[in-house]
Amino acid sequence: MNRRAALVVVLAVACALVPFFVHSQYILQVTDTALIYAIVVIGLGILLGFAGQMSLAQAAFFGIGAYSSAIASTTLGLSPWIAIPFGVLVSVAIGAAVGYPCLRLSGHYLALATIGFGIIVQLVFINARSLTNGPDGINSIPPPHLGSIALDTYQSYFYVAYGALLFSIYVAWRIKRSRIGRAFEAIRENEIAAQAMGINTTNYKVLAFVLASGFGGLAGGLIAHMTRFISPDSYSFDQSVIFLVMLVIGGSATIAGAVTGAILLTFLPEVLRPLKDSYIMVYGAAVVVMVIFMPEGIVGLVRRLIPSTESTPPAPLRATTPSSIADSA
Amino acid sequence: MFDLSATLQLIVSGLAMGAIYALVALGFILIYNAVGVVNFAQGDFVMFPSFIAVSFILPSVIVFGAVMHWQLPIVAVYLLVLVLMAGFGLLFNRIAYYPLRDRGWLPVVISTIGVSIFLRNLAQIVWGSQPIVFPGPFHVETLTVGGLHFRTQDLLILGVSGLLIAFQYVLFERTTLGKQMRATAQDRATAQLLGIRVDRIVAITFIYSVLLGTIAGLLVSPIFTVTKEMGGLISLKAFAASIVGGFGSIPGAILGGLLIGVVENLGGYYISSDYKDAIAFVILIGVLLLRPSGFFGERVSEKA
Amino acid sequence: MPAPILELRGLVKSFGGVKAVSALDMTVNEGEIHALIGPNGSGKTTTLNVISGLYRANEGSVRFRGDEISQLPPHTIAQRGITRTFQNIRLFPRLTVLDNVMIGRHTRLRTNFWMALTPNPITLAEEDEARRRAHELLAFVGLADRARIRASSLAYGDQRRLEIARALAAEPALLLLDEPAAGMNPTETDALVKLLYDVRDRGITLLLIEHDMNLVMSISNRITVLNFGTHIAEGAAADIAQNPDVITAYLGGPLDSGFAETR
Repeated sequence: MNRRAALVVVLAVACALVPFFVHSQYILQVTDTALIYAIVVIGLGILLGFAGQMSLAQAAFFGIGAYSSAIASTTLGLSPWIAIPFGVLVSVAIGAAVGYPCLRLSGHYLALATIGFGIIVQLVFINARSLTNGPDGINSIPPPHLGSIALDTYQSYFYVAYGALLFSIYVAWRIKRSRIGRAFEAIRENEIAAQAMGINTTNYKVLAFVLASGFGGLAGGLIAHMTRFISPDSYSFDQSVIFLVMLVIGGSATIAGAVTGAILLTFLPEVLRPLKDSYIMVYGAAVVVMVIFMPEGIVGLVRRLIPSTESTPPAPLRATTPSSIADSA
Repeated sequence: MFDLSATLQLIVSGLAMGAIYALVALGFILIYNAVGVVNFAQGDFVMFPSFIAVSFILPSVIVFGAVMHWQLPIVAVYLLVLVLMAGFGLLFNRIAYYPLRDRGWLPVVISTIGVSIFLRNLAQIVWGSQPIVFPGPFHVETLTVGGLHFRTQDLLILGVSGLLIAFQYVLFERTTLGKQMRATAQDRATAQLLGIRVDRIVAITFIYSVLLGTIAGLLVSPIFTVTKEMGGLISLKAFAASIVGGFGSIPGAILGGLLIGVVENLGGYYISSDYKDAIAFVILIGVLLLRPSGFFGERVSEKA
Repeated sequence: MPAPILELRGLVKSFGGVKAVSALDMTVNEGEIHALIGPNGSGKTTTLNVISGLYRANEGSVRFRGDEISQLPPHTIAQRGITRTFQNIRLFPRLTVLDNVMIGRHTRLRTNFWMALTPNPITLAEEDEARRRAHELLAFVGLADRARIRASSLAYGDQRRLEIARALAAEPALLLLDEPAAGMNPTETDALVKLLYDVRDRGITLLLIEHDMNLVMSISNRITVLNFGTHIAEGAAADIAQNPDVITAYLGGPLDSGFAETR
């Protein structure tokens, strides 16, 4: 086992011990939330980081996963262990249905279609009262159980979220090293050349979109059964934007970047809370500063400072958009 | 049931709202044409000046938790706000765009997002979270002509927007500055070779865009309450409008805005008021799927 | 008797009202080096783009090994055995040289999404094979020691050779080259000539667009000359050099007949 793999394993084990050392409910809650957001951002990282396709609808799939799993475990009375995968299936199905027509578009057009889709989804959450209970949201979502033990504390739920995150990291990692991952990156780097090399770019883009929707849906199911109350407010365009910022700040087209960005930008507002009202302002300013001074994101910066076994440093994140919209029509 | 008088009234107020979308859309397009980036803070340039304006116009307003009575004449305030926002546009250009100008569009987008977050929350700190109601410059709220009721503010919006668009036409077609702006938007490298000071023109474009948003905000604030969220949905719909009209096209942005304004008004009345906000995006998605270049956009294929 | 591997009949491609290619007939024989030449704007790149599927023909037919391919999308055409390089190099800039070639091999691999998720013998074997072949191709084009470098860091001439290696990774039957020698000095051009001969000796048919007349005349078995989107001559290099229409349209003067004999 090489040095890098050993480091990853040590880190993974160390992180698993967090609930033993941290007892503050508040910190554990933020941690659990950060882990779940990391799953969303990994999904976005596959779509935007690997394949270069812009999407501002991650929050919509986050919401679709949350709502469909919540409805499954409340109205249908299913166990959360079934409801959450059900939420993933619904997200994936909708992702495929929406992705197929939209991914024939490129660049800004795709981004817009996803914006529009996301807004419509949120409006459905607000207005389809019979299904979603409207603005009042869904409450009394049951926690998952292990045998007779309810996983209803932030301590115990840590392991649910952490396990799901490890699973997500594994899947994303395997994709990245495979022919599929290479095809994604080829599409990002030069879509026309990718087609000329035999890659069916539309199908692969849809696949990336479906993966993003699946991870978003998984995270949604997890958050619904942790907070045990969901409402349409959380699944807005603004939230999709935050996920995007997390990916870009965390850095480049890597899984580590997605996870780092999510965790950092989930903790940052909490760290800034002592500033009281101005903390979000500082957050906004911090985003601008970080994007100016860290072109390759945090992970890129770290890799530059620490010599590693890789000979090619990660690249600044760039979506595949031609320099003008006219070129993409 | 089809109601003629309601429909006519809806069309007029729809055109007014559409004119607002058109102004904001123009702001997007001008920046996009100049630097290839979508400005995610555009909506906040609608919101922020509205707050500033109402602070000085209303008899009393809460600023930083304390009650202020500034009450200045409306026209003076509007002019003040325009000057202030022009300065702000310059600052925005220098801080959020200029350091990132060679780094591709995604970093700039993220930067504008940061500015947007900053502005919204600055607004919350200064003015609190309570929506502010601003009755507008007119003492008469509605005008009745031939049995139809029109909001005076809508008529003002239509009048001002019309003038602004005419002004812009003259600016771009007849003045040197306007031609330089167009040249820079079309082909930056060549413009530079022709001796045009591109960085300066870009800064001016930013300022102009911000001013368009400002005017839209000043015009629309009497219709909606002034809140930190007011710019959000307006700018997203304006963005949709610019795509519907053909992204990059100025007449397209105007027509797209007007179209969306009217259709969403009629749709909100005849189809569903709950989903009224969705209408703009349903149109957007329809256009994207059927005719991505919009009504006036150009189809250009990428060269091999 | 050499068999045709690619046949264009009555090909028309227009943009808006402008016909870039009109009523073009062309035949490329298997195992040969075939050049497509003509003045700027005569429709050469457009023709290549139609063959590779980037553009869809308005009229006419493109037959590859007897099958009609003119309405197929580019990735399908690549899967059928036609790959290409581009006039303005289209590498995958931030990926390594090796990865660029590995992507070229995409169509010959079978691993799908589900297989990628878990380690399995088929995937392991084909990835090893693909890596081995990629290294071999890099050695073939002379880039063996640059495998782990980012593609965008390569010198210009090396980038062109990488593009060729990438296009070869799919084991094509027909390789399209759009101005492979552009921007090369004489030393680099000689190296390119040798490389192209080596490619042909592997049994791959070459169709190239080129402006360098010495290169064209020395290596081509046959040449098609385009002007205003249609062909004005097609035949063996020696004949083309004497063709008066070609001389008038293209050069305005007699061709340099001191070309080397084709190997």
